[in-house]
Amino acid sequence: MKQGSRFWRSAAAVWWRNFLAWRKFWRSSILLNFGEPLTNLLALGLGLGAYVTVMQGVSFLQFIAPGLLAVTSMNAVTFDSGFEGYDRLNSNGVYQSMMTSPLTVPEIVAGEYLWEATRSLLYGAVFFVVVLAFGLVHSAWIALLPIPLLLFGVVFAAPALYVAARAKTHEQLFYYFSLVITPMFMFSGVFFPVQHLPWFVADIIYVLPLYHGVELTRELALGQISLASLWNFLWIVGYAAALMYLPVRALERRLTA
Amino acid sequence: MRLSLPRGRLSSCGGVSGPRREERFRKEAKQPKRVVKVVNQESAAQLTDNPVIVAKGLRKRYGDLEAVRGIDFEIRKGECFGFLGPNGAGKSSTIRMLSCLSPVSDGQLEVLGMPAGVAERRIKERLGIVSQEDNVDPDLTLMENLLVYARYFRMASGEARQRAGELLRFMQLEHRQDAAVRELSGGMRRRLVIARSLMHAPEILVLDEPTTGLDPQARLLVWGALQALKRQGTTIVLTSHYMEEAERLADRLVVVDHGTVLERGSPRELVLRIVGREAVEIWPEDAADSERIAEAARPAVRLSDRHGDALVLFSDEPGRIGEELVRKQAVPARMMVRPANLEDVFLTLTGRDLRE
Ligand SMILES: Nc1ncnc2c1ncn2[C@@H]1O[C@H](COP(=O)(O)OP(=O)(O)OP(=O)(O)O)[C@@H](O)[C@H]1O
Ligand SMILES: [Mg+2]
Repeated sequence: MKQGSRFWRSAAAVWWRNFLAWRKFWRSSILLNFGEPLTNLLALGLGLGAYVTVMQGVSFLQFIAPGLLAVTSMNAVTFDSGFEGYDRLNSNGVYQSMMTSPLTVPEIVAGEYLWEATRSLLYGAVFFVVVLAFGLVHSAWIALLPIPLLLFGVVFAAPALYVAARAKTHEQLFYYFSLVITPMFMFSGVFFPVQHLPWFVADIIYVLPLYHGVELTRELALGQISLASLWNFLWIVGYAAALMYLPVRALERRLTA
Repeated sequence: MRLSLPRGRLSSCGGVSGPRREERFRKEAKQPKRVVKVVNQESAAQLTDNPVIVAKGLRKRYGDLEAVRGIDFEIRKGECFGFLGPNGAGKSSTIRMLSCLSPVSDGQLEVLGMPAGVAERRIKERLGIVSQEDNVDPDLTLMENLLVYARYFRMASGEARQRAGELLRFMQLEHRQDAAVRELSGGMRRRLVIARSLMHAPEILVLDEPTTGLDPQARLLVWGALQALKRQGTTIVLTSHYMEEAERLADRLVVVDHGTVLERGSPRELVLRIVGREAVEIWPEDAADSERIAEAARPAVRLSDRHGDALVLFSDEPGRIGEELVRKQAVPARMMVRPANLEDVFLTLTGRDLRE
């Protein structure tokens, strides 16, 4: 019990450090994480939506909006854990200074997850307001949206932090973005249903976390809740649990030479 | 035992702000007497035989490279202990092990009676660590840096705020407390790292090259601060490339090279034992002249060395060198007698070849 409360207090201190740093740049940070999905929503939703009028029974705009919300969260988390995480480790010594205190690496990583969950929630909420303004939400189930958003904070932060810990240069981070994140974004059912893809592509997509995040977000926004929704949710929980520990060893190796 | 800070004792510029304060600080720092005034008579150094850090056969390996090759030392409560050595000697590796930042490869290491590597967290709670690289948070202000750090130690926020204010004054940074760290000069950053390391009132302060890159004024400020802390009973462990710093601050030191201890003792003792009391520096006309003078002085010389184009002759009785030179009519055109110092010891022990 006492051990547990110490762990979370330490993690909360790391969260607070990130919050103070974020507070200095929050306007540009929101703008940066917001511009791209908004552009996608408007350009594709309105432009392409003029040709593709109906997708799985709803308007094209309505179809892509929830998926873009999930992607906004994923990117907000991935960019921060990847690029900022790399800097915290390699250029400004933030993690090194934490190591001169009683904080341990698992506590630092837990603090990062708390922070990324916060970011995911925050950036998701900002995008949600836009989706709401467009009249694209039709179900009270959306009230459950914060739960998957918080989980995205772990699911997408864990691999990005791992990559940041293993990367030797800034360039190597881009590999992760262009070879993992971007393809996952394009194929995970944000813009079109996955079942029409060739089976070998679809099978890969089915086991990746973003697909389940996109599906679940859409089901919540459109009120299409079924057993599949629970299944999607369990995939996300499973991913969070499986990846949680991934960056700990990698960071320990870097921080205790 | 928790030690409180010498409140405001170093902040002699109260009430003046901005560049004027900086200017006054510089003026005052030039007069070492002001720093000496910091002495707190009541709390004399509690120098005892109690070892707070004990290392036996300590080793550090990085893959195939053995950076620390079995060194022994005991650091006593309340003393200032120095590690001197050329680049790559293994100072940081040693100091990182005793700060629990790096695992011990072999040998024994006890800090505050606890084995390093097992009781890492409990040791770190009582240690103040100033790493060789500045690692203050560039995205935060000075004040925020200290407050965040206090949270890592689970300090209450009221206490943290008060202490942060005191420490910023102590390091003469209070006029910049709300500035972003990225706007600070290197010297201010270093002072901030030192202030941060003191937030939780550590019993042992471990500093890896605390004054590298500081101007002479800031260096005096840091020396004064460290001396004040020592007087209050804080044990100080430091590495340095400045012999003057080690001579002023360290009660005892070890000279390390290639991961082993070459010599140990107090600065004064090392000077007397290894080179002698005085140094006669001679600037000969040419190589032949140099040869002739060295030969003439030989009977009175304990040790001779060359520093640049100067010939340096060490002796406990420099008068006898003069006598020899006069007697053999080899008096050089330019010469100077000065007390031998730690730099002479260092160069004698580690040679004049560049490392790395
Ligand atoms: N993390 C590391 N991985 C591999 N080798 C290392 C590492 N840290 C230090 N070394 C090597 O160990 C040796 C001792 O380094 P160390 O940093 O302890 O020296 P130092 O005495 O502090 O030198 P300096 O005065 O330059 O700071 C050097 O050869 C260095 O290259
Ligand atoms: Mg070093």
